[in-house]
Amino acid sequence: MTARRALARLAALVRKRDLEQDLEFDIAAHLELAERDALARGVSPEEARQSARKMFGGVEQMKEAHREHRGIAWMDTLIRDVRYGVASLVRSPGFTAAVISVLALGIGANVAMFSLVDAVLLKPLPFPEPDRIVRVWEAPRPGITNATSTLDFLDWARLATKFEAIAAEIPVSAALTADGEAVRLSGKAVTSEYFHVFGVGTQTGRTFTSEEGKAGAPRVVVISNAVWKTRFNSDPGILSRVMVLDGEPHQVIGVLPPGAFDRDQARFWKNLVFTPDQYLRDSHWLLVHARLRAGVTLAQARGQMRAIHSELDSVTPQFERNWKIEVESLTRLLAGDNLRRSISILFGAVVLVLLIACANVVNLLLAKGAARRKEIGIRAALGASRGRLAAQLLTEGLVLCLLGGAAGLAVAIVLIRAAAPYLVDSIPYTANLMVDYRVFGFGAAAALGVGLLVGALPALQISAGNPGLVLGNAPRGSSGSHQRMRRFVVVAEVALSLVLICGAFLLFRSLANLQQIETGVRIENVITMAVDLPVQRYPTVETAAAFYEAVASRIRNIPGVRETGVSTHLPLQWIANGEAVQAPGVKELINIRFKRVDAGYFQTMGIPLIAGRGIDQRDRLGARRVVVINEALAKRLADIAAMSNPVGRTVTLYCPRYVERGAREEQTDIVGVIRSERVANPGMPDPPVAYVPLAQVPATGIKILVRTQAAPSSVVSGVRQVLRQIDANVPIGEIATMEEIREKTLTGVSRPAWLIGAFAVVSAALAAIGLFGVLSQAVTQRRREIGIRMALGARSHEVISYVVRNAISVISIGLVLGMAGTFALTRVLNSLLYKVSPLDPMALAEACAAMLVIGLAAAFIPASRAARVDPASTLREEG
Amino acid sequence: MSKSQQADIPYGTLDLLILKTLNSMGTMHGYGLARRIEKVSGDALQLSQGSVYPALIRLQQEGWISAEWGVSETNRKVRFYSLTRAGRKQLEVEVANWHKANALVARFLEALP
Repeated sequence: MTARRALARLAALVRKRDLEQDLEFDIAAHLELAERDALARGVSPEEARQSARKMFGGVEQMKEAHREHRGIAWMDTLIRDVRYGVASLVRSPGFTAAVISVLALGIGANVAMFSLVDAVLLKPLPFPEPDRIVRVWEAPRPGITNATSTLDFLDWARLATKFEAIAAEIPVSAALTADGEAVRLSGKAVTSEYFHVFGVGTQTGRTFTSEEGKAGAPRVVVISNAVWKTRFNSDPGILSRVMVLDGEPHQVIGVLPPGAFDRDQARFWKNLVFTPDQYLRDSHWLLVHARLRAGVTLAQARGQMRAIHSELDSVTPQFERNWKIEVESLTRLLAGDNLRRSISILFGAVVLVLLIACANVVNLLLAKGAARRKEIGIRAALGASRGRLAAQLLTEGLVLCLLGGAAGLAVAIVLIRAAAPYLVDSIPYTANLMVDYRVFGFGAAAALGVGLLVGALPALQISAGNPGLVLGNAPRGSSGSHQRMRRFVVVAEVALSLVLICGAFLLFRSLANLQQIETGVRIENVITMAVDLPVQRYPTVETAAAFYEAVASRIRNIPGVRETGVSTHLPLQWIANGEAVQAPGVKELINIRFKRVDAGYFQTMGIPLIAGRGIDQRDRLGARRVVVINEALAKRLADIAAMSNPVGRTVTLYCPRYVERGAREEQTDIVGVIRSERVANPGMPDPPVAYVPLAQVPATGIKILVRTQAAPSSVVSGVRQVLRQIDANVPIGEIATMEEIREKTLTGVSRPAWLIGAFAVVSAALAAIGLFGVLSQAVTQRRREIGIRMALGARSHEVISYVVRNAISVISIGLVLGMAGTFALTRVLNSLLYKVSPLDPMALAEACAAMLVIGLAAAFIPASRAARVDPASTLREEG
Repeated sequence: MSKSQQADIPYGTLDLLILKTLNSMGTMHGYGLARRIEKVSGDALQLSQGSVYPALIRLQQEGWISAEWGVSETNRKVRFYSLTRAGRKQLEVEVANWHKANALVARFLEALP
């Protein structure tokens, strides 16, 4: 067939009515001409007409042949079936709406979840040749990621030949003064090859030159597209603008194109110029990314980096010599194992929901099929083949599912919009949550798959039975095989729902366990505020210390404030390691977490002293250096240095310097021991922590903690005012209550728990609807039987128990199967569970009980309807 | 003429007959075409006149013939068909094919005892 003819045949499908009409004209003219010629031969008009018809041949056959020749037969049939299907759906709008909404829910949830899976796990990173982007770090122990020192980084950059580009970054945050109000902006200080590593250019201007990484280079900044749009109103003359960060002018040299960097926390990137005091090997502070040369494998790069590391052995500090260098692809690091696992589990759960939704739709279709047996019987009797009937039912199923799929896509878009703000913290910045052609394609495929699945069952059932026979006993309306099939479907629904409910109960139990973990701090009525001191205004230790003192003393006088404290880290917040303590006469260093607090901290957070004293007003700059340690550190000291009573002992503490990099050894007295507050993630052991007076070892980034008498938010404006009075140029960062911070530490567990909980509720509701449908139909069909029983003396409670027994038999088979599924599946949750076994008997028992209650609730209406059956009227009805 | 001497149209040759007829007769409607084919064959062909219509739509879709509305001798709206330039070429191809096939069959018939 030529292409031209193929096109013409396709067009013929659309122009069907015209073509039929044209053919009619031809036929009419033809017959008339033939009749005229026959009349001319002298026959009677009647004979003439007959002769014309005879010569022409079968008109209908010819039309059929005409259609076959000009069009595509199966397409024609399909179009007819679709039209018929739509008509039959329009005839029963209630049924159609029910099916479409169930499908929209199932497909919508799946599509939304797929967009998450796609963005986080499937799509390549939004950078050119993302497989070549790697992160490089030193691992003190396997699985521990440590930052890199300046000298190590410079050596790597000099010696590593497997990288096309290598760059270091550190997070910075700066006060941007605009319109008299200081705002805190996060950014990064990066070395010159940074954007080359990611393969990202600029939309306007340029990125850094290698000159801009050298000492004495001018201060320059590259900004994200979002910042250019929001803070600079898309100013086309941006390259002539200067950004004042922490009081220092930075020339804007480039604007990034829109994309992944708009979702990064950083809003600006400035050139990182190492100062002389930063040329150290024992101060680890840089995060290093690199781009592999084309054709270089990860293993080759790793091999070379390890060789470089052993080459540098002689200059490496003693305690770092056995560290290993790791090179890992950025893709793998961004979607870490935990995230990967959580998302996979959630996707599995949502697929279960879809299966249950399918089961429900099959159930509805079967119910409708039962009601339509008469219609189908008539069509069969009129000569429709089983194949045609089955194809037609399948088409009807497909039409339903495509409509459901379209509605589902709308649901998905709404879900994604609603969920995106809550998810940004949990997914890497490279992932862009959106509905694109891939998500759309997935939705279409899901709808089609569901259509085949739910259309096939009723179709099979029609073609397996003998539809012709139906006519004979149609009025009776009951069909054993339909009922059996529907019960089977409901059993499957109950089983699948139980798996989800079990998963949800296990996760909630684990969440409850986590929430009960002792945090070691009083979190009620505490509000926290982050503050960053601009270094230019507070260049020395003295100025910074004066600032903290002013803050603490003036906030304490705000009405409604009970206590206030200042610390470098929030309670429950992770503290990076890097500092160490050394007991006298012991060579081994103890790695510690270093936390600087003021005199009010322990009191404000309700952290009890175990021995000695806390930090107080005496511990000022210039006074004898002191440290308070937590129980975990006391235990380490006891283990390593046999220091059973540490209070009053002197140790060597490696203290970070103010503003400059590096640490200074300080002889420090241990003055107290406190009970450990939680630092690590819930469920992890407490690390050793040293608490040092903020006044003696100040920092630029601090958190203000305020315990209030009433609701914590009530004092926010007062605190703001006080800070503005002290220094209007100090921006206030994030404000959060301790309750919110505690919730945040649990998000890794609570988000999956709530999502699976929601899925479980939806699926249990679907199962209940399915059960309700089956029981109602059973009651309707057996009205006569129930009527006879009641006429013969059955009490209404016996009738109710008959229906309930019916329900229980379905539910319990479902529960048994569901338990089997649970035993097989819940172990995937293991990593998300805290102090709960994946087969926790209590949780599983509760889940079964919940399913049973839901099932019985679904049985209640049909049962009470059965009890109200009036024996006399039912017997008359069909008698 | 008795029925037994009438022949069915050889498979696939109706297209050729239509193209050839239109080529020699110019524009004509379906009835005229069917009558003409019957007449030329000396009524030796068993042709249901209606069967020209499926063939006509096919040839039209191929672009070998074109149709135009006109008025029949009985004053009815009817389509008149005529050969296109592509149709003329196709006719040459089909005629050549026919001769080729004929020659081949003839050779077989002569060669085999």
